Amino acid sequence: MQNTRLRGLRRFFNVSTLTFRLWDFTGTAMLNFFIWVAVLLYLSPLTYMITTALKTSAQLSDGAAPLYPAVVETYTYQGVAYEIYNVPNGSGVKQWALVNSFQKYSEFIDPANPGAGLLHWDGFWRGLKKVYRPSITFSNFENLWKNIDYPQKMRNTMVVVGLGELGMFLSSIAVAYGFSRFRIPGGRFLFFILIGTIMIPDSITLVPSFVIYARVLGWNGSFLPLIVPAFFGNAIYIFLLRQNFKAIPRDLDEAAMLDGAGPLRILTSVILPQAVPVVVTVGLLQFFNAWNEMRMSSLYLGIRPDLQTMAFSAQAFVSYGFTPEVLQASAIVLMIIPVIVLFLSQRYFMQDMIVTGIEK
Amino acid sequence: MEERIRRHPSIFQRLAPKWDLSMRQREGLVGLLFLSPWILGFILLKAVPIIAALGFSFTNFKMLEPENTRFIGLTNYINILKDTDAGASLFGSISYFVLSVPVEMIVALGLAVLFSSKRLKSKLLLRTLFFMPSIIPAIAIFFIVSGLANPGSGWIDRLILIPLHLPPLVGLFGIFPVILALWTIGPGFLIMLGAMQSVPPEIYEAARVDGAGPIMRFFSITVPMISPAIFFSLVINIISSFGGVALLDRGLSFSSSLSPMEGYIVQQMFSYSKLGYASALAWVMFIVVMAITLAVFSSSRYWVHFAEEDDDAEY
Repeated sequence: MQNTRLRGLRRFFNVSTLTFRLWDFTGTAMLNFFIWVAVLLYLSPLTYMITTALKTSAQLSDGAAPLYPAVVETYTYQGVAYEIYNVPNGSGVKQWALVNSFQKYSEFIDPANPGAGLLHWDGFWRGLKKVYRPSITFSNFENLWKNIDYPQKMRNTMVVVGLGELGMFLSSIAVAYGFSRFRIPGGRFLFFILIGTIMIPDSITLVPSFVIYARVLGWNGSFLPLIVPAFFGNAIYIFLLRQNFKAIPRDLDEAAMLDGAGPLRILTSVILPQAVPVVVTVGLLQFFNAWNEMRMSSLYLGIRPDLQTMAFSAQAFVSYGFTPEVLQASAIVLMIIPVIVLFLSQRYFMQDMIVTGIEK
Repeated sequence: MEERIRRHPSIFQRLAPKWDLSMRQREGLVGLLFLSPWILGFILLKAVPIIAALGFSFTNFKMLEPENTRFIGLTNYINILKDTDAGASLFGSISYFVLSVPVEMIVALGLAVLFSSKRLKSKLLLRTLFFMPSIIPAIAIFFIVSGLANPGSGWIDRLILIPLHLPPLVGLFGIFPVILALWTIGPGFLIMLGAMQSVPPEIYEAARVDGAGPIMRFFSITVPMISPAIFFSLVINIISSFGGVALLDRGLSFSSSLSPMEGYIVQQMFSYSKLGYASALAWVMFIVVMAITLAVFSSSRYWVHFAEEDDDAEY
């Protein structure tokens, strides 16, 4: 196919094979170059968060410092550490340590040749640029670890995530199977309702569900409002699973049915093994959502600091006006790392997603 | 097949041995059994609260004094009409929807087109990198934007404006919705890319033989063939532009929702404990979102080419 196209284009432009190949190669190189520039630009704002997490507050507030975590290079002369500056003199720019600074002139020591003693330099030292070297610190993370009970937050998050996954597996998969394999009276209408519920904004159910959860059921200060809804199925997961279950050929179910397998057995031993990518996708979506979840936890977990999740503690920590910025950055990085690692460590996510016939 | 199943009793039979049900009825019953968690959830978590909210919206229900609740008719709705803050928050919600959804759709579609080129190398890594920001919680984006846009010490000033000797810009925090929208393309991009890859190459080849150029092929083959995926991406982008959770949760509480209307509802609910008024506001938002949904869904018959699902008649 590629060849037909190349031949056609070559005839069109009436150029030699070599010229054409060169042109084709240039096009490919330019496309790849463009996309890599685009992806680097696209991700570049993240570097602010990562570098800030690896800086000390002093490094962050030093306006002359480079954007990456860096400290001023120093030289120890006679037991005292002096900062090194870029000093221009007659024979180029030298890196000298500033020992005595005055208005009109300053005295430096040359680290390469300390034996030469103090060097006189005319000019105002504040106009000089300091010499920085990269230096990262993990002290922010140590600090956070001391201030926040991470094992507890992690445990809470795992409870919310784990039970949410269980609910998703038990209900969303079963419902999607029901929609994809059974002739149900009014099934099309029910599916239309399912799609409709995806569009319902959460704020409409907010007031009554808060009244029910907090006042009637007394679930304020418990995980239940975060977990229980997962056991009733999630419309968008059901939709994704159903689309992919429907694409699995029916022959195998029928063969299994003839061997006496019931519907549950067909689901677990025929459908699920063939639907691994979509089940993993939905499982990961549920994981990411339960991990980042703030809507329910901000309403119901505010009164119980011991039940708060990673996301909650990161948000609370960042929202304190007086938290140093470097600590905010590290709290966010700590919260994001597990999600990113999980995302990067698998290859199923949203592979072969089948999205057709939303209305049917 | 029915004959064979009768000889091999399965759950279909065991479920209701005494009832005189046909195969078809049993199948429907088992199917409903599988649907039951969702049906129950729909009634308990959606239908009842929506109706209850409608009921609350006609009362002066207050969280702290529920015993004084009484029916006040349309007063709440009339107050909304007089409430300029409510109008402003609704306008803010609709503006964010109008501005962010087209950006998300066009960038995701353009990226998917680039990715369907055979010339592009290391696609798996690149699509992972392009998707990654979509799972980052909004608090990280807030933090990053404040670091980039801070006047004087922000990275935009230090990297771009100061080296170019440009005056510092005010209102750089306005880049927040732009970055957020660009970092939300992930799901739409992957869904549309997946759809593009499943278009049979013979169709493109045939169009090429007939002399269709790349732009013509894009509009008359790619777009119609992937229209269900475009439609689905549109739906999830609309939901998230109104602050809802479509595929991925940004970890925003109601009070910090992207949709100013949601924030206003929560403020009325918790700061002023006006549950009745909050319910009326929620109903207004519900009607607006449902009107937009209805418009989008009914427009779909003109531009979305749904795949035939012939077997639906059978199953």
